[in-house]
Order: sequence, then structure tokens, then C-alpha cells
Amino acid sequence: MAEIELNERHEILSGEQQESESHKISRRKFLVTGSATGLTLGFALSAGARRAQALAGGIAGPPANTQVNSWLNITSGGAITLTIGSSEMGEGSYTGLAVILSEDLMVDFTKIKTVHGVPAIGAAKIGNTVVTAGSTVTWTNYWNLRNAASAAREMLVSAAMNIIGDQNRGNYTVANGVITYTPNGTEISYGLVANAAALLPVPANPPLIPDSEFRYIGKTQNRLDIPSKVNGTAIYGMDVRLPNTLYAVIQHAPAFGSVLSGSVPATPAGMTAVVPLQVLAGIGRGTEQTGMVNAVAVVGPTTWDAWQAALNLNVSWTTPANASQLNDAVFLSQAQSALTTNTPYSASGPNTAPTLYQVEGNAAAAASAIAGANKQFSAQYILPYVAHNPLENLCCTVNYVPGVSIDVYAPTQGASLIPPIAASLTGLSLNQINVHVTQLGGGLGRKYEADFVSQAIQVAVAVKQPVVVMWPREQFFMRDQYRPLSLVQVEAGLDSSGNILGWSATNVNASILGQRGIPLGAAGDSQSTEGTTTLPYTRGSISTQWISHPSPIPVGFWRSVGMSVNTFAVESAIDELASLAGQDPLQYRLNMCTDPRWTGVLNAVATLANYSAGPPSGHFFGMAAEKYANSYCALIADVSLTNATDYEGFPTLFTVNNVYVALDCYLAVNPGQINAQLAGGMVHGLNAALYGQQSFVNGVPQFQNFYNNRVIRIYEMPQVFTTVIPSPAQSNQSTLIGGVGELGVPCIAPAVANAYFRASGKRIRQLPFFPGVKMGGINNPKVP
Amino acid sequence: MATNYTLNVNGQNYNVTVNNPTMPLLWVIRDLINLTGTKYGCGIGICGACTVLVNGVAKQTCILPVENAVGTTITTIEGLSPTSTHPAQVAWVANQVPQCGYCQSGQLMTVAGALNAGLHGANIVPQIKNVCICGTYDRILQAVDTL
Repeated sequence: MAEIELNERHEILSGEQQESESHKISRRKFLVTGSATGLTLGFALSAGARRAQALAGGIAGPPANTQVNSWLNITSGGAITLTIGSSEMGEGSYTGLAVILSEDLMVDFTKIKTVHGVPAIGAAKIGNTVVTAGSTVTWTNYWNLRNAASAAREMLVSAAMNIIGDQNRGNYTVANGVITYTPNGTEISYGLVANAAALLPVPANPPLIPDSEFRYIGKTQNRLDIPSKVNGTAIYGMDVRLPNTLYAVIQHAPAFGSVLSGSVPATPAGMTAVVPLQVLAGIGRGTEQTGMVNAVAVVGPTTWDAWQAALNLNVSWTTPANASQLNDAVFLSQAQSALTTNTPYSASGPNTAPTLYQVEGNAAAAASAIAGANKQFSAQYILPYVAHNPLENLCCTVNYVPGVSIDVYAPTQGASLIPPIAASLTGLSLNQINVHVTQLGGGLGRKYEADFVSQAIQVAVAVKQPVVVMWPREQFFMRDQYRPLSLVQVEAGLDSSGNILGWSATNVNASILGQRGIPLGAAGDSQSTEGTTTLPYTRGSISTQWISHPSPIPVGFWRSVGMSVNTFAVESAIDELASLAGQDPLQYRLNMCTDPRWTGVLNAVATLANYSAGPPSGHFFGMAAEKYANSYCALIADVSLTNATDYEGFPTLFTVNNVYVALDCYLAVNPGQINAQLAGGMVHGLNAALYGQQSFVNGVPQFQNFYNNRVIRIYEMPQVFTTVIPSPAQSNQSTLIGGVGELGVPCIAPAVANAYFRASGKRIRQLPFFPGVKMGGINNPKVP
Repeated sequence: MATNYTLNVNGQNYNVTVNNPTMPLLWVIRDLINLTGTKYGCGIGICGACTVLVNGVAKQTCILPVENAVGTTITTIEGLSPTSTHPAQVAWVANQVPQCGYCQSGQLMTVAGALNAGLHGANIVPQIKNVCICGTYDRILQAVDTL
């Protein structure tokens, strides 16, 4: 079944790619193809997300619509397909896109099939920028989709008008994909005029329907992908089955920086091959440099056979030269010393870590204001390396036919990265390379990286047979590109009324963009500084700095990235200052905010939690707020102290009972999914806050499976209440629509720390709250 | 040493040849029988993504040797209902539970096992130890409440 669906996609796309088709590019950069496949409108969706822009060294904001990367196809049979370049990783975005498209197209959204395009590069017509990151899929595409839908609708109506012979548009209505000629009730379906519409000019300014006529936007809609996710038919990265499939398991060197020593081990009995795997150019991070052989794949008849053979394989790995430097204590002491011993950024200099970047304000002025204030505050917040660990491990299926074709089936957030890799490894030309994006069993930022895909292609090139390639869970924990270890120093000075006269925040961590070879300007790495910059609070004289950390442990984009690090520090510090000022933490924040959308979410979450009445007896509130991806979010955690042991028999300090979240994303497309994303993001943040850490001994990661990097089970799930600020009666394109997918993550850690402080008087400034707490098996609660 | 087994999965008998009788049932189901709805998550019996019913009882197949499953009746997510209308599936859709969906086969099989044992509503919850990284637990609780 999987193959059928994937092949269908391919046929849809290859149909558009025929050279014989005539193409017209309108002033609005829609591209029309006329053929027997009906009306196909090509347009640009900004899948080039903020993260991708950051990777390209650009600035935040919606990308320009310069390249066609998406297609709306209406066949003569009436089938409607939207082919796009972003991935579905569980956030419901494909359903949201169908909902948006359906309004101006005036069709039932459940009749729209949304599929992922086969990406190509350069001037190719399909799927140019294909990156899914930064909570961007819905909001960046909203207006482009609506304009495309309106253009298609008017072209279809024009074609119908030609058939009827009456060019008075006012005599036609459209509903559910049927055009009605009102003078005599003649009905013409979209399918009937789809081919003719393709020959018509694209209207320059097709009217959008008013928001008051929305049938779906703003109302909770069922997700289109859920039926396939309750009966086992959804296809993920290692679910593709092709004739003569082999299975491979990846085994890395145990330490970062270690490589294969000596020759490749002989192929064990019963196995097909042992394949040495290189770090390819542009893929290695930190210790992993281009050309290093840092892993082998064992290929066999089943995943299990290959895995057992890999575990028993006698491989020699080198000890990295700098192994003694790859230790937790070293990383932390490097961060501490970088605070005082660093080199200021120089436009001409090499800017070797530790380099100090002055991101906002003036350090001397802030220091002077703090020193001259009535009360001084200084605190350090420390966050560990944290792995991503979506439940689907890294995996990829490849079918390589030498000299003919390669098909890559990958659960990827970065499909556009794959064709060049496949081309360089196979020598095939781009039109022989097909990338099929499967369902993602969670991405969380890790599946943007192409390391696992590049390995799978190397294996396929070696065995020349279809192969399903998998990383065992232990490999995933041990070869992550972690959320960076971070030390954030906050200093502030208060006047006698508690007003902040001076504020200084300095974050020390490894550069995500720097590890990807992206030159950093004077403002440093946006992925490290987001969450410390453009804060809404009036703080007198401010200084925001970032210092690059020299650690070569690979770091990467972890759902909400710098926000989850810095929001913990900033919102903890603001709460500490409220306490120092003797003020209520909500009122303290409100007094320092002038942006009505910030105060709006703060007041909304307070109402939701009934803050003025206070929590139930024995419970304590803690709050935090953030602005991210053009959305505003505020969160209150309700925490009570416990002396009990948890269900695994480990002691606990507190229970998170309830979580209240308010979001302002300007326009809410699918409120039910916003609720799901806020709750789910909160859980991701809570897992990291309570238990998340990776630790290193001589470059070897110590936490290797869930048993010692615990995540919450259902018993630890707080009750979650969400509220979304109502959308405007009539939205406009001048206000940016906000993202949702990562917004639930950053606030939970500081909110819980703040609530715990209210409850206990103790301030937690280092994560995780419960380092080293373990998790047992389902039927064996005492797994070591 | 290659060993032949006959397994009854979703009402059908499958003859499989395994290289080692300790091979976990998960990999037999996925790689030899090609039913891919049952997932690998942790491999050590913690996450429950690999849960199926063995004689109606929820079991983690990533740590269940295939030899121990011979002679049993095995039900995977694909065999839960020919029309995807098992009460748990209906409740999952009604409550819009899945996000990425990867853990949900295992969640559903766990709940199906609890229903088989005569449990309902809140009494099912203690049986659910399956991990969901997306954090769909609140909706699972809502869905289970209706069962």
C-alpha cells in the first residue's frame, strides 16, 4: 500500500515535469501548465523557514516569493491535490494547509489531498526549498495559498463563463467545487472545466473571500492523517518494503572524534556486507570532520540479524586526541572561564571561540546602571546537552539501481538537502534522483540533519539492493546533535520601588550555525541569542551578549532551539527580580510591558488559571512568557510539593498538577491543533526540564536509552488548559500570522522552577530538575 | 541456526525462518511478515511502541523471543479491526489523539488488551505505560474515558 501511494505521488509530479507542456508565468509568479492533467497552478510557498534563512545567513522574516515550489492540481475528474515542500511531522500542518486552500477554492477541505513534493534543486519546477522548521509551515504559507486558491477559482469560473457564453461574473456562484449559472441554474463542476481553465490567463488580483464567510478556518477540523495513524497504514521511514529488501543497522564509534582504526571487519556469517561510512562534506558537525569514517553499517536479512552482528562485530576505533577535553566538567569550566576570558568579535578576525558578541545595548552602560542601583541581582542558569529523541529512530530506505536511478524514502525535515548528496555518491543526474518524504515519527529538529540519509545512501551504493537502514535507540542517544550546554549569566539592578534600572544577560554556548560553516556577524548566532533579545520588559540600560563556547560536541536545532535555553534563564530571572522587589510576579511583568499583545497573553493566562483567586490549598503558581515565531505565549504551572516516591520508586520533590497556556498567533486556523501543539510542546519542554541531559566521559555519551534519560509517562501528565486570543474579525496581510509548533516548549521549565520556588523557597537554576532519575520497563520496573 | 516456525498473526498462519530463536517477535512481524504498523522505539521494553496482543494480552514484542510466541494467537494493529472500527480506534479518531502517530499502534494495542481484560474508563489508565514523545497523553486520557 505504501508503495502505491508513493508511486502515485511520483506520477503526479513527473506528469508536471514533461517538457512538452506550455508554461506561463503571470505577474504574480503563478505558473500554469496546460495538459490533459487539468489545471495545475504552480506557486511559491515559503517553506524556506526562518531556520533555513538563518542557515543561509539571512535574517528572520517571511522569505520572498521567488521560486515556484508548490502545485495546486485540479484534474478533469475533479480530484484536487496540493503538492508542497514541507514535511508533516505530527503537527497537523497538512490538514491546516488544506483548510486554508479550501476557503477561497470553495471546496470541502477533506476533498483536498496534500502530498509532499519530490524535491529538486536549481531551476527545477518542483519543491525547491524544502525545509520544515521554525514553526513556520502554516503561517508563512497562509496568504500565498489563499491567493493561489482564488486565482484557480477565477480561472475555473472564467472557463465556465466561456461555455455558457455570458461574461458577467455576477451571474455565477461557486460552492463545493461547482459553478452555478444563476439565471438558469446550470451547474458546471470544476473537473469539467479544469482542462479549459489551464489555457486561460492567470488573474492579477483575484478577490479573496471575507473572513466572515470562512467555513473551516478558525473552527476545529479533524486531521486528515489520523485514520492512517490508528490502523497501522501510515508509512514511516523504515516501513517501506520493496522486493529483495535488505536491512542495515548503523554502529558509530563510541566516542565523538573517534574513527575506524585499521581495516573494515570481515562480513560476519549470514550477513551481506559491512560498509564503512564516511562523514560527507557539509554534514559533519563539531568533532565529525569531512572524510572521517566514524561508523559502519552491517547489512543482513533482517534488522535484528544485522543489529546482533553489529553488536558482536570486532571493530577497532581510535581514541580521539582530545578525548580528555570531552568531559562535562571541562565543558562547564570552559563556559565559566569564557565569561571573563574571551576575545571581542572582530569583523576581520578569525573569531575563534570563546568570542564575545555584543548583541544588544552597551555592556559598560548596563554595568554602570546595575552598580548604581539600590539592589543588585546576579544569577547563573545552567542547562545541559539534551538529545532530541523522537520515538521514531533515525532511519531511511533506499533503492539504488546503478546508472539508472535512486529512490530515497526518508522521514526528513530537510528533503532539499538530499538530491545533491545522492548525486555526489552515485554520479546520477538530478532527474534520476527521487526523494520521497515519508511520515515522520517526530522530528523535533533532529531530522533536518542529513547524516542518517547520507549513510543510508552509502549503504545502498555498496549493496546495490533495496535497503532499510536504522539507527538503534542507543545510537540515536549517542550521536545526536544536542541542544547545546548553556550557561546564562543574568545581572540586574533595581531601584527602591523594584524597577529595573539595568539589565545584562550573557549566554555562553556552542554555535549551531557556526558548526554548519555559516559565518557569524557582529550579532553572533541567532540560534543562541533568541530569547534573550527584543524582550518586552522595560529594563533601563541593557546589555545582551553571547559568547561562543569551544566545545566540539555536535549541537543542533532542538524544538524551539535557543528559546528553550534562554526563556528558562530570562523568565526565572524576571521572577527572581519580582521576588526581590516584593511584588506579585504577574503584576511585575505587566508593569514592565507596553506591548498590548504581551500583556494580552499574560492577562489571558491569568484569567484561565483564575490567578487572582490563587491556586488550591497546597498548590503554587509559577509563570513565564515568551514571544517567538511572531506568536506570544504565556504559561502558568500549578505545582505542589510531595515527599512521596513516584511510580518507579524514585523520590520526587514536586508534582506538576495543571498547566495553563495562552497563545496569541493573530489568526488561528485550526484551534484544536493549536491546543494539541501547545500541550505537546509543553510535554517536550517538561521532559527536558525534569530529566533531559546528555553527559560525556572522554567523548563517550553516557545516557544511552530511555532508562537513564527518562521521559514522562501518562501518570505524570499535567492537566493542560489552553486559550487562544480570538482572531480579528477581518485579518489583513500586514500583521504577521504567528507559529504554533514550538510555542509550548520554552515556558514550562521556568514556570515550574518559579512555582517550585513559591512552594519551597528554593530556587532551581540548573536543569534538569532530577538528574540521573531512571525509568523502568513496562513489565520490568527496575531496568538498570 | 535457522529455525522454522508457524505463527498465527491476525488470523493467518505464516511460516517463517529465523536465524536465531531468540529473535524478538517485533522483527519477525516487521521484516519477515512485513506488517509494519508495529513499531520499534527503544528495544528494551520501556516505550511500548512494539505492543501487540498475544492471546489477547498486550505484550512488548521487542523483548519477546519469537519462540515464545509459537502456538499463540497474535494480533497486530493491522488486525485490530478490518474496518478500523475497534472501540479504541473510534475513540482515538473522535478525540483526535495522534500527532506524529508513531507510538499510537502500541497505545491502541495496550488499550485493546485492557478492554479484553474487562477494564473500562479510568481503570484502563494504570495499564498505559506507553511513551508518547509528542505528549498526546491528555487526549489519550480523554479517549480512554469514553471506553
